[in-house]
Amino acid sequence: MNVLRAVLWKDLLAEWRSRDRAPAMVVFALLTVVVLRFSQPAGTPAGDALAAPGLLWVAYVFAAVLGMNRGFAQELENEALSGLALAPVDRGWIYLGKALSNLLLLALAQLSTAVFFAVVFDVDLAGVAAPFLGVALLGAVGLTAAGTLFAGIAVRTRFREVMLPLLLFPLLVPLLVPCVQATAGLLRDGSLPEGALELLAVYDGVFLIASFLLFEYVLDE
Amino acid sequence: MSETRPESRLERFAARAVRPAGLVLLAVAALAGFMIARAPADVVQGVLYKILFVHAPAAFAAYLGFVLTAVGGALYLWRNDEQWDRLAAASAEVGLLFCTLNIVTGPIWAAGAWGKPWVWDPRLVVTALLWVTYLAYALLRSFSDEGPRAARFAAVYGIAGVLLIPLNYFAIDLFGGRSQHPENLQRGSLGVGIAGPFMAGLAAMLLAFVWLLALRVEVGGLRARADRRRVESLGREDLA
Repeated sequence: MNVLRAVLWKDLLAEWRSRDRAPAMVVFALLTVVVLRFSQPAGTPAGDALAAPGLLWVAYVFAAVLGMNRGFAQELENEALSGLALAPVDRGWIYLGKALSNLLLLALAQLSTAVFFAVVFDVDLAGVAAPFLGVALLGAVGLTAAGTLFAGIAVRTRFREVMLPLLLFPLLVPLLVPCVQATAGLLRDGSLPEGALELLAVYDGVFLIASFLLFEYVLDE
Repeated sequence: MSETRPESRLERFAARAVRPAGLVLLAVAALAGFMIARAPADVVQGVLYKILFVHAPAAFAAYLGFVLTAVGGALYLWRNDEQWDRLAAASAEVGLLFCTLNIVTGPIWAAGAWGKPWVWDPRLVVTALLWVTYLAYALLRSFSDEGPRAARFAAVYGIAGVLLIPLNYFAIDLFGGRSQHPENLQRGSLGVGIAGPFMAGLAAMLLAFVWLLALRVEVGGLRARADRRRVESLGREDLA
């Protein structure tokens, strides 16, 4: 637990002092939203975009990948990653600390993107704010649970910026389907499709536990 | 240490199994080909349906390969023995080959039978996702420098890939696709005169899987030995 708190504190402090990841994630997500708005056929009234829920999650995934890549890339400076690996502690807790800091940054990006998205696409997210935040949080937990593990792998390969999305995207489908379906349901009539939250919870649980155990083999000196 | 000894027990076993497995495969494949050729043509589809004698067994072989990849990876992480990593690498490659065969034969059949090569069908999509996942696995292997680190990374990814299979099924279910694949292979779902050729095709495909896997494991072992000998000879030159 102490390890988790220490890693989380270190990440947040580093982020507060440099302020590079969070702004990059937010701006990138906003830009993605703008580009996606223009990807609609000309003349589509904003509120009519059928694909809106999916597009919102595309922006989230892009922001998450950007942030998580940086999260480990910064550990390469001064061999900080080796230092983490040498620490005589259970590496699962190091993983949870990194995942939690990634999650907080992603949640920040999600929140600001959602507001911007609701304006640009003219969808009523404010009306279903509470359940939507729940879905977004469950989705973010899954994104960071899987993403932090594979970011730890990607950072030690050649072409590391490219590797994370290549590894992560095929594994995200069972997470994104319930996220998009739930968001669409909320926007349509404020209801959640049956089974979506369960699948999200199962995905989060599976990847949190598996990553907690497997991170031991990802970090090395 | 003898110069020609294979790397490990697994590779010794594979090297010994390659030839017999190949011979049995030849015999069974010939028999299966004969039986499939003799199988009655479908009333509606004609001979087109016979591609399923290849298509379905290839899927079984692919799934077998991916499960073996995870098992090999887990054994490697547990025992820290390189032979299991080479088993994982071999089964991922062979599994990917059969998965490709499955994905290529499916649309050929579907174009004739369903009128469309690709429809939103749960099993189709899950298999396509698996195919992408193991392509990423192969990329991960080729993008990481050889050694224990690459082996550990691949093991982690292989295990995650298999965890994904049931989750994918739930996701597709949520998305709302209705499967057009038969539910099972229980008696009755295969028509008269088809069960025999189908089982023969399945046996031939699984034997082909075993044969290719044994070959690939043997090659992996030889490659590891060649690498080690090169390192050793470099060391000797340095001394001399």
